[in-house]
Amino acid sequence: MNKTQNNEQQTISPDTLKAEYLSPDSCSFFRTEKGFLGAVINGTEYKRVVLARALPLSFPDDYVCISDIDKKELGIIEHISDFSEENQKLINEELSQRYFSPVITEILSIREKFGNFYFDVMLGDLKRNFTVKDLTKNIRYHEKGFDLIDVDGNRYRILDFDSIPKKSRRKLEPYLY
Amino acid sequence: MDNEQCLCDARIFFDEKGLYIVTGEEKLAKIKKNHTPVEPEFTLGCVKSIPLSDIDYLETESYLSTGRLILYKDGEAEPLVWFSLGKLGDFADFVRVFNTYKDTGNIEIPERPDDHGVCKRCGAPCPPGKDFCRKHSKNSATAVRLIKFFGGHVPQIATIVLVMVASAGVQVLVPQISTRSLYDNVLSNPDSLPQAELLKALGVLVLGIIGVRILNVVLTMIQQYMSATIMPKVMYDIKVKIFEAMQRLSVNFYSSKQTGSLMNRVMRDATNIYWFFTDGIPRIIIDGATVIGVLILMLKMNWRLSLFALLSAPLLIVTLVFGDRFFRRMHHKVWVFHSRIGSVLSDNINGQRVIKAFAKEDDELDRFSNMSMDVRNAEVKLNVTEATLFPIMEILAMLLSTAVLGYGGVLVARGTMTAGTLLSFIVYLEMLKEPFGFLAWVTNWWSRCADAATRVFEICDAEPEITEKENAIPLDNLRGDIEINELEFEYEPARPVIKKLSLEVKAGDMLGIVGKTGAGKTTIANLISRLYDAKEGSIKIDGYDVKDVKLADIRRNIGLVSQDIYLFAGSIADNIRYAKPDASMDEVIAASKAAFAHDYIMKLPDAYETRIGAGGQRLSGGEKQRISIARTIIQNPKILILDEATAAMDTETERNIQNSLAKLSKGRTTIAIAHRLSTLRDADYLAVIDEGTIVEYGTFAELIEKKGEFFRLYKIQSEALKTIAIGADSCTNNGEEEEQSNEQNAE
Repeated sequence: MNKTQNNEQQTISPDTLKAEYLSPDSCSFFRTEKGFLGAVINGTEYKRVVLARALPLSFPDDYVCISDIDKKELGIIEHISDFSEENQKLINEELSQRYFSPVITEILSIREKFGNFYFDVMLGDLKRNFTVKDLTKNIRYHEKGFDLIDVDGNRYRILDFDSIPKKSRRKLEPYLY
Repeated sequence: MDNEQCLCDARIFFDEKGLYIVTGEEKLAKIKKNHTPVEPEFTLGCVKSIPLSDIDYLETESYLSTGRLILYKDGEAEPLVWFSLGKLGDFADFVRVFNTYKDTGNIEIPERPDDHGVCKRCGAPCPPGKDFCRKHSKNSATAVRLIKFFGGHVPQIATIVLVMVASAGVQVLVPQISTRSLYDNVLSNPDSLPQAELLKALGVLVLGIIGVRILNVVLTMIQQYMSATIMPKVMYDIKVKIFEAMQRLSVNFYSSKQTGSLMNRVMRDATNIYWFFTDGIPRIIIDGATVIGVLILMLKMNWRLSLFALLSAPLLIVTLVFGDRFFRRMHHKVWVFHSRIGSVLSDNINGQRVIKAFAKEDDELDRFSNMSMDVRNAEVKLNVTEATLFPIMEILAMLLSTAVLGYGGVLVARGTMTAGTLLSFIVYLEMLKEPFGFLAWVTNWWSRCADAATRVFEICDAEPEITEKENAIPLDNLRGDIEINELEFEYEPARPVIKKLSLEVKAGDMLGIVGKTGAGKTTIANLISRLYDAKEGSIKIDGYDVKDVKLADIRRNIGLVSQDIYLFAGSIADNIRYAKPDASMDEVIAASKAAFAHDYIMKLPDAYETRIGAGGQRLSGGEKQRISIARTIIQNPKILILDEATAAMDTETERNIQNSLAKLSKGRTTIAIAHRLSTLRDADYLAVIDEGTIVEYGTFAELIEKKGEFFRLYKIQSEALKTIAIGADSCTNNGEEEEQSNEQNAE
């Protein structure tokens, strides 16, 4: 009898630990009247779901976890690209709001003083300035570029370091080691 | 951020009728000459208004780099506006004011520091704790504060400066005597003097040169001797000042800074300042005086040739400055790669057991060799560049000397200048090269020193969050009544850890606190000990708010056995005596016996004198916990807080200590935090905490009978124990079966 119980436990454990991957057949998204992202997962409707990237820097479009509002995980999307265009749009909208990182298109100036870096940058047409304390600790590298985290916790992204103007690159290069 | 996820400026406010969100564009006006901040200009875009009757309450949510304001009405949520994470604190305050107004009709504006994180002059973003941005922060203030450290040594410093100037003067005179006099007075016309006179003149000159050199050495010795006696004293003052400031600061300061960074401040930053003042300042004075003296002499000797030489000096300075910047970048790169290797090495040494357990030795070797390859490449590049650029810079300097020599030669040929003057001129030019180079580079050295000094002053100036009131109440004879009212606390803005928590513990009673990991149990213990201050609500001990009581009295009367045990480097006896250094050996042994530590301590070769902590005897988690309990027992506190105090022990030892603590708890107020619910059977009452608030309260029996959250947790633990017991039975049965089959096989 003891042996049977142990065997049962062994067969139960792997199932409970298995991640639930959601496919377009088992999961679809919608925008609620109030503007939240909702989802229908395995036939159950959730009026508000929370998306979180498992690998936000290396693979922002893969391994996206879906949770309900009480932070209970409902499943994982392996590749956003598997979903329909409409669903992809909804997912990306939600993710870009949660992981909001304005894209730096040009670096106008960087001045360093006492370990603080004062940036003047262009975010498309917008000119912005921000301060990064201890650059080596507040930089997150991704495939071609990196995120800079300012003193308030805001993130600014350089999508592709090689594609920003050469003048901008020269200003930042000395600090990128 | 607007609906199209574009950055925009917005303002939010409310009145008795509604809540208004105004979006538009904000422009910071130019700074006025008198540096008074100017109100930004706001261009109105659109206004969204929501009647107050359509809002029950507001909430904020925070994400990676943004936050969102959410409106609730009849349980339904509606997103209102996204904002950048830096504004989370402002929004949290706004939400608090709004919700209070909705509940009570009162407006209570929370206190916030003025212009938090913004330059006081121009409004540009600033690092936390800074009042001015880069442009408006002053190096001079740092310099003045640094110089103040030398305040007590003014006569000695004045003597050092005088000696240095004298030393520079002597150095400047050397070419005048050795070169100019030798050529012009002795060697230029040797036939005009009799042999004896010539030798005499030569002897006087040689003796003069030796005398000047000896004088120079003596002056340098005096300067170095005086510096060597004063500088360590100043360094001692700086290090003690930093350490003293660090002791004043609250726990929160240490949580926000890395240990390494703090260690650096005490040791490396202080040393950086030391070297600048011991090596940098003397050289600035000597080199500055040398440059001035040499220039005066050169101009006096021949102003034309001097101006000709000085015309090319800017070229040399510019080359040196740019060369230095260029090399500094390369040196920085090499330094960063070296630090990375250091981290890998440290990881590797500390993680040897894991590396071996996963058989990852080869992978680690690859990782290390890749990192070393980066260092190698960077160093090769640096060396090659140095090998190429230094000769070029040398050639530039050589060209300058040659040009001066050429022009000087013309002047000598014309008879307007003597050969000795020209040669001493060349020597002076050589003498200028090094001071110029140093003075061009010393600004960087000063920047490094000022950088270090700013970090040091950051600690000295930091205001401790936990402060004692001026007329704090002394609490000598504490009873031990604890009353917590509507307690609210958050480590980060808008992320409450304790929410409206109220409870009461009477003097001498034992309260057990249970709850899931991260529920806020340890935070309550920290708040009672006043390691942190509550955001809202109050904690009263014997009817007095902890904020009004003398800090030393609170800490002396509250014994905290934390789950994070820290033992200091020293003997076991010293660690047990930490709270009461004058405790007798009898008291130490009694406390160790009560903590069930005595037996294992006596088994160690050096018993109570066993060295623990850094470089000492390795102790297991349970052994450390027992020393920590003994340390608290010897303190004899009126209030005892046991935060998972026995979690790392085996069940038998835990039970023994429980019994012992139960005896000690008599007459003391005890708050015991535990995951193992069975250890809280003796508690007079229990509080179940979930997400920072009490969800259940009562005696052990009452909570079991209630069949709520506590019962659920208790049941889970009981079932887990049953499973273990069954597993153990099964193992025993299997073992017996195996033994039987072995016996059969043997037969």
